[in-house]
Amino acid sequence: MKTLLSICVALLLPLQATVVVAADAQPPKVFGKKGYFWDEMTPERAAVLRGGGDPVKGKESFRGCQGCHKADAAGVREGVYPRLTGQHASVLIKQITEIRAGIRSNPKMLPFVEDPAIAMEEIGDIAAYLATLTSVRENGKGAEDMSARGKKLFTDNKCFECHGKNGEGNAAKSFPVVASQHYGYLLREMKWIKQGVRGNSNPDMVKAIAKFSQGDLEAVADYLSRLPDYRTVATPVASK
Amino acid sequence: MKHNYKSIARCLSLCGTLAGLLLPATASADDAVVVPPLEERLQLCAGCHNPDGNSIIPENPKLSGLNAKYLNRQLKDFKSGDRASPIMSSIIPMVDESEFKALAAYFSEQKRTAGVSEKPDLAVLGKQIYDEGIIGSAVPACSGCHNEDGSGTDKYPRLTGQHSLYVSSQLTNFKSGERKNDPKAVMQTVAKRMSEAEIQAVSEYIVTLKEAE
Ligand code: HEC
Ligand code: HEC
Ligand code: HEC
Ligand code: HEC
Repeated sequence: MKTLLSICVALLLPLQATVVVAADAQPPKVFGKKGYFWDEMTPERAAVLRGGGDPVKGKESFRGCQGCHKADAAGVREGVYPRLTGQHASVLIKQITEIRAGIRSNPKMLPFVEDPAIAMEEIGDIAAYLATLTSVRENGKGAEDMSARGKKLFTDNKCFECHGKNGEGNAAKSFPVVASQHYGYLLREMKWIKQGVRGNSNPDMVKAIAKFSQGDLEAVADYLSRLPDYRTVATPVASK
Repeated sequence: MKHNYKSIARCLSLCGTLAGLLLPATASADDAVVVPPLEERLQLCAGCHNPDGNSIIPENPKLSGLNAKYLNRQLKDFKSGDRASPIMSSIIPMVDESEFKALAAYFSEQKRTAGVSEKPDLAVLGKQIYDEGIIGSAVPACSGCHNEDGSGTDKYPRLTGQHSLYVSSQLTNFKSGERKNDPKAVMQTVAKRMSEAEIQAVSEYIVTLKEAE
């Protein structure tokens, strides 16, 4: 009986979303739902990773993105739109394909990135183009420097095991770069991951961040926003 | 459960297809079109769009400098009814599809003239929307797709110096879904996120856009 009920609920809940996404699509398996597996390779992600990308075509396709993420892909300082430069291609592809699949919810961006606004082949092209860009505009930082407290939290909770000592992430494992991203974006994502509402949350990260207070989250976000672009660790990012 | 939704969706799209088939069929019942030479045909367009495509009537768009592929597709969409317009849909039955390419090529080669805003105070907010978008309601910057000077590309039409009345009417139509022939529906998404006041403001800025020589 209990199982029957939960099947019914599972069928009913995602119904609206199913209709919007595509008539035939299965409801996306998101964090917290049964059957969710963090790094599940969707067929689309596998195809994009296999297909590679052409940065020249990607520049053209990126036009549809730069109205929000800006021409240098630096996003906006307040962090509503994240910086995309410096992010590993594997991570960009994971995020874009999971947003398209409804695993990570992003209603602001979805109409501009879903099929047919962007065809599957264009995803690899965009990732290849973004790899050629460097953002020159300075990223948004916290209001006050809390990097000492943030650094301690980042170290004590072993965040570096996935995100790297310099916030450089891990391309092979699709762990995102977190250095020199906008403060506002970092803070929002950590909150959503902690609350379990970022559909593609990593369960081990959810555990690592579970006990963070609001102040802790702010301190870590501030620390990470002040880390230099990992590709230019020796020379901090130039300001405007 | 899902089947119900699917069949409703199918039924709806079938209705749409049927309506789409019926409408233009009645509009172009008179099939015996005589194809005149281009110069002669242009006289028909010139009455509303001016000989060089730089219409001086604010309801009628400037066609000058629009990408040929874009023009061609709009003409086809007027013909098929995919783009509704009381005026153009009464003109287009007189024109044969075989003429579209030459008409599109002609207007694409004309030089776009500058426009003036009659409400320059609105253009200040308009510029901000055009260059930066509206972050609160996730409206992307127009410049991202249409270019800073409005020159556009083969995918995104030229907006430079276009009449503000025409621009605001199109944005209103995209917002209401009355114009829905934009590929991938991105312009409908953009316009749906804008208020009437924002539409007016950005239109007053677009008419002032100029391209470098
Ligand atoms: C309407 C504005 C808008 C447009 C247009 C847009 N995005 Fe986004 N994008 C966003 C927002 C907002 C977020 C952050 C969402 C969140 O906080 O979860 C985002 C996040 C992302 C992310 C995740 C970054 C990360 O670090 O995880 C990627 C990748 C991305 N966008 C790529 C694109 C691409 C590629 C396009 C064009 C095809 C595009 N975006 C178009 C608003 C937009
Ligand atoms: C087991 C590996 C792992 C650990 C440990 C981990 N993270 Fe993450 N983190 C991830 C992954 C993976 C994502 C992206 C989720 C996804 O796959 O889409 C992420 C996302 C983030 C983001 C958002 C980045 C973006 O671009 O959207 C921030 C910020 C972050 N982590 C901070 C932390 C902090 C702080 C800690 C320590 C408390 C931590 N992480 C521990 C794997 C980890
Ligand atoms: C009686 C006036 C009139 C005549 C004659 C006329 N047009 Fe139009 N045209 C309009 C109006 C009004 C619109 C705006 C339609 C709308 O509101 O969507 C328009 C729109 C267009 C558009 C769409 C432009 C854009 O930017 O999307 C094209 C292309 C066009 N006309 C081509 C032509 C051609 C070619 C001819 C000659 C064969 C012609 N028109 C004759 C009034 C006219
Ligand atoms: C993501 C890309 C994108 C963005 C951002 C965008 N547009 Fe467009 N726009 C388009 C496309 C594509 C078309 C062409 C529709 C078609 O081919 O029928 C279009 C068409 C138009 C038209 C009709 C032109 C004509 O001649 O009829 C107007 C007006 C317009 N856009 C204004 C704007 C304004 C104002 C903004 C900013 C608030 C904006 N656009 C932002 C993609 C975009």
